[in-house]
Amino acid sequence: MEKLTAKTENLPDKYKNRGGRWLTDSYVCDEVDPNCHPLGPNNKLVFAPGMVTGTKAPSSGRISVGAKSPLTGGIKEANAGTPFAEQLVLLGYSAIVVEGVPKEKGKYWQLEIDKKGVNLNEAKTGIGDVLSKAYGELFKKHGKHVGIASIGSAGEQQLAAAGVCFNDIDGRATRYAGRGGLGAVMGSKGLKYIIVDDKGAKEVEIKDKNLFNKGRQKLAKALTTHDITKKGGTLNSYGTAALINVMNEAGGLPTRNFREGRFEGAEKVSGEAIKEACEKRGGAGMTGHPCHASCIIQCSNVYPYEDGTEHVSCIEYESDWAFGPNCGIDNLDHVAELVRLSNEYGLDTIEMGGTIAVAMDGGLAEFGDGEKAIEMMKEIHKGSPLGKILASGAVTTGKTLGVTRVPACKGQNMPAYEPRAVKGIGYVYATSTMGADHTSGYTIAPEILGVGGSADPLDIDKSALARGFMDTTAFLDSTGYCLFIAFAILDIPEGFDGMVESVNGVLGTSWTGDDVARIGKEITEMERAFNKAAGFTKHDDRMPEFMKLEKLPPHNEVWNVPDSELDKVFK
Amino acid sequence: MMKLEIHLYGRLRRFTDNPAPGKPSVINIDVPRGTTIREALEKAGVSMEEVGTNIFLNGRYSSLDRAIDDGGRLGVFPDDMNLLYKWHFTKE
Repeated sequence: MEKLTAKTENLPDKYKNRGGRWLTDSYVCDEVDPNCHPLGPNNKLVFAPGMVTGTKAPSSGRISVGAKSPLTGGIKEANAGTPFAEQLVLLGYSAIVVEGVPKEKGKYWQLEIDKKGVNLNEAKTGIGDVLSKAYGELFKKHGKHVGIASIGSAGEQQLAAAGVCFNDIDGRATRYAGRGGLGAVMGSKGLKYIIVDDKGAKEVEIKDKNLFNKGRQKLAKALTTHDITKKGGTLNSYGTAALINVMNEAGGLPTRNFREGRFEGAEKVSGEAIKEACEKRGGAGMTGHPCHASCIIQCSNVYPYEDGTEHVSCIEYESDWAFGPNCGIDNLDHVAELVRLSNEYGLDTIEMGGTIAVAMDGGLAEFGDGEKAIEMMKEIHKGSPLGKILASGAVTTGKTLGVTRVPACKGQNMPAYEPRAVKGIGYVYATSTMGADHTSGYTIAPEILGVGGSADPLDIDKSALARGFMDTTAFLDSTGYCLFIAFAILDIPEGFDGMVESVNGVLGTSWTGDDVARIGKEITEMERAFNKAAGFTKHDDRMPEFMKLEKLPPHNEVWNVPDSELDKVFK
Repeated sequence: MMKLEIHLYGRLRRFTDNPAPGKPSVINIDVPRGTTIREALEKAGVSMEEVGTNIFLNGRYSSLDRAIDDGGRLGVFPDDMNLLYKWHFTKE
């Protein structure tokens, strides 16, 4: 961005067959100084669709975004499901690498990619606007079929809770590579939009079509038969917010800034309540909405206002919890409005819900006051000092307000699983290269069992389990498959085989299940090495102190895993 | 006898006075000490064919055969609301 030029070049041979998180990590680890300022000229922002993205493989339309994170100070990869990912692959691109910062401040640029090549132009529309308006103008100018990646007003302000936004299947500005402040990195580079137009693009080259078809069919069969992922199954019917009631029963739904593990108003903001509102209010409301065309799980939703007109897409579990139970808010319309504002301003819903909860703990509002939470969110778009503090995340907000109860690891606020009630996820939060992140190793189930159950939280196997999940996830994040295929492929062996075969079919590789583990391990180790060079030590793989001191009802558990156990995860 | 508060979800709500989501659907019953979760649900009139894998006794993930020692809260989800991984559970 320093010279304001864009060019295409061949993918280096050493990165052959890499996609998604593996590829963004490769660029960041090879080309970014671990000690650089995340918003300075030496950070690089990398976009990479997955290995099978753009093909007919089911639920495979994900794109990874990577850089050094301004929120954690370590390596970051976040991914989203969006037609943008598929379009980029169809145009023949493995990655977009954004380098340098522009000399001129206060101006923004847009990268346009089509079959003729790449162009960098000044972005003249939508600066400082809400994203629905900005996307509307771009679709009008470039056609409804294009894919758009962008930042909102929070990213323009280079604030650490800003995400990178992509269009959904209907052209909404709602699909986020949300976590870790990647939107702030994009803002620091003066890059407002990337617009991809795949008109006239060719199909993706598939090295072994028979193997690919065999694999994708096996995977599709697993997805369409498994209870969780099938049509009419849990995710398709109720969305991810089905977890609200489940985690509440388990006593592991973080409530009022991680003060309690059960919320009396949980049912009012549950997946069931969302489904009921969609059915009763009718109109635009729907569950079973796909985020991109190849998805056969379809766990997204469109939540309506009372009169049936569209309010927001999508209220998923993490966003619902972050603005709902975690802020003590039991009004679904308030939660919907907070999610909408996050989407409009280009923010990570998890970090923002966590931040507002910390702000409530710090006395800026009462827990449960949805109206006040909405007012606080609006400060961010105004660019007021309070808004800038809030959109810098929970840790900064906690420091500003003198709050000791800040549930974060490596600077990133925890998502919707209470580690005192769900011990194994705590291993992942503490030791993940990404900071507190549930998607880097979804060890939820056995950990719920771990609450006083037969799975001893001090058992050494728990660290092995956390490590295993983190490695497998790192591979899945590189394929372009949605993480939710894990439900089906870890339960149904043919589904797992099908996933591997589909990847081999596209790439012409002959990987096995062992290679999945090997490659996953290679990815997490590469990330660990970057973080180590950035100054992270084992003392950063720790849980916040208050969790060791405060008992969490209803299980009345503290975080009682010794630090030495956490150190075993990556030994 | 012990007091048991059964919270039902999804389509199992119809076995309570409140079939609609948005507020708790609860059956309060008294059962003898040592009653299993299956026996308690049968006594409460819940259709066992529709019960899924997500069952929580006082917040602990449990099997239908678990004996209830001290009453409390039982949360039961139907088979179309299974969410937790099944493959490495040994239920209490």
